Amino acid sequence: MDRLEAFFLSKYLQAPKRNLFRFSFVFMVLGIVLSVGILSAGLNLFEGYESTLRNLLLDSFAHISVQSSDSAYLSREQAQEAIAKLNKHKEVLSVIPSIHYPLMAQSGTKIRNANLRAYDFAGEFPYAKYIENYPGELQESEIVIGHYLATEMGLQPGDNVSLIYPQLDRISPLGIYNGQQSFKIAGLYRSGYYENDRSIIIANISDAEQLLLITNSISKLEIRIRNPQQARELAKGLSAILGSQYTCISWDLYASSLLRLVEMEKWLIFIVFTFLVLIAGFNVISSVSTIIIDKGNEIAVLKTLGANAKSIKRIYAYKVGMVAILSVVIGQAFGAFLSWVVEKQTFYRLKGDVYFIDTIGASITPFNLLAVFVVASLLISLCIYLPLRQIDRIQIISLFRQNT
Amino acid sequence: MIAAIHNIYKTYHDSDQLIEVLRGTSLEIEERDFICITGKSGSGKSTLLHILGLLDSPDSGDLEISGRKISSLMSDAALIRNRNLGFVFQFHYLVEDLTASENVALPLLIAGESATASLAQARELLIHLGLEQRLNRYPNQLSGGEQQRIALARALVNKPAMVLADEPTGNLDPGHSKDVWDLMYRLNSELGQAFVIVTHDVEAAAKAPKSFELAEGVLIPR
Repeated sequence: MDRLEAFFLSKYLQAPKRNLFRFSFVFMVLGIVLSVGILSAGLNLFEGYESTLRNLLLDSFAHISVQSSDSAYLSREQAQEAIAKLNKHKEVLSVIPSIHYPLMAQSGTKIRNANLRAYDFAGEFPYAKYIENYPGELQESEIVIGHYLATEMGLQPGDNVSLIYPQLDRISPLGIYNGQQSFKIAGLYRSGYYENDRSIIIANISDAEQLLLITNSISKLEIRIRNPQQARELAKGLSAILGSQYTCISWDLYASSLLRLVEMEKWLIFIVFTFLVLIAGFNVISSVSTIIIDKGNEIAVLKTLGANAKSIKRIYAYKVGMVAILSVVIGQAFGAFLSWVVEKQTFYRLKGDVYFIDTIGASITPFNLLAVFVVASLLISLCIYLPLRQIDRIQIISLFRQNT
Repeated sequence: MIAAIHNIYKTYHDSDQLIEVLRGTSLEIEERDFICITGKSGSGKSTLLHILGLLDSPDSGDLEISGRKISSLMSDAALIRNRNLGFVFQFHYLVEDLTASENVALPLLIAGESATASLAQARELLIHLGLEQRLNRYPNQLSGGEQQRIALARALVNKPAMVLADEPTGNLDPGHSKDVWDLMYRLNSELGQAFVIVTHDVEAAAKAPKSFELAEGVLIPR
């Protein structure tokens, strides 16, 4: 940067109102603010979606599940032995025995498939925060059901519902023998993760044992760990500790493809919305071209006084560039505002059966802010640079002749 | 001798017609010269000045500045213009985003001087020209005469050997026009720079120590 460029730059910084805020910049600024705002909002919302989905998956399921390698159930003794070993690992936060089983819920003529998850409520219960009016623990013959399931079946807390367990291994001459028991609904489960909210039924382990006709058995141990991102590696380590009769499965085994898909969609949206910034860049090209025409005499005088074309180009690049960069920053703020509005609005909810979750959340991350800023600034800089090349071709004489 | 042109020829193409505006024009400029060139419109006065100022190239002929043969196509033409020549045009062509003193400081900034030193020199010159009340005014806050006096200061601030003025009073009313002429005479006498002025004002030109009329492509002493 030579002395002339530094002088103009300091002039723009000292008196931005006089030097930078021009009517000819209005449409350029609007274009950049809107396009960057939409790009930022799109990215914030996708980031929010990804983060909400990831958090719900981590909150709604075990980070690592331990099952028997050779049977459907683990005995209580096996479970206690495994829990004792697992609790010694510094990465393990909690280990909860549970029974998982698919069954059917019936109320009157309405029958829906459901997933039974039974726990021992004596210890810590990690899903309590998703249960509306959680009483602390479930009494005998009490259950909590997903709120969408309750809505579909027309049920509410206090109502009774029958859980039906088709026992395929107990077939009588009259057909399949069904285990069936009536339960009182003590609360509704509302996590925001549609699959769970539509199918979950939470019960006491003792009730589940009675329904499923099993004794002193559980189907899996649910482990929560300090860093769920390292679940896969930790699962391998825990398998080695527990031995070959146990199988450890990390949460991302089921969810990684879904999260990768969401992440890919996020960057696809980023690429598509980046084209909006490119379109806004046409306004920048137009504004810079207008400046070169308007300031032709100034450019000619600077050249006459001995300034080289490179310096003159930089002077105008600083002028437009500062306005453009400021517009990008304002656009990012506008994007954050748009994301906030979308997050707070109540008239549209996501369809849970399509998008897995039914709430729209936004998340602003430093990386995304930087990515939008860098990409938008680079595109706009290119759009500033291209028309400035005209300055090389400006003939001093032809400009002065036009004015005489 | 600070500058000279020898046997300059220049032809323009106007649709399918060739217009020969300079036909072997020669001129020598000495230190402290005050030269006026008059002529009809289209006679080639401005072209001659532009060639002398390295803004245009002749078809043939030589240009010398400080004893060195120069061409507008040379890579250091801009540097030579900055160091040796000052320009005043019919329009002031001041940069509208800069104050009077900042406009005057431009040639010094282009020459690589610091902003502080450039502005100090510019202010000193403007005060010398009686424009101390206008130092921080923007061009649109100045009268036509003041704008042209500031343009003149800009041409002189880097102490060039020669100032080239193309119709410097062409846009001014008679009162302001006289002020600018008086100022140019005064500066020529006080600062010692040579002035080459192209003008339509025959009366003012007649008062100059050296006066020429450009006719038929050559300079005729008056």
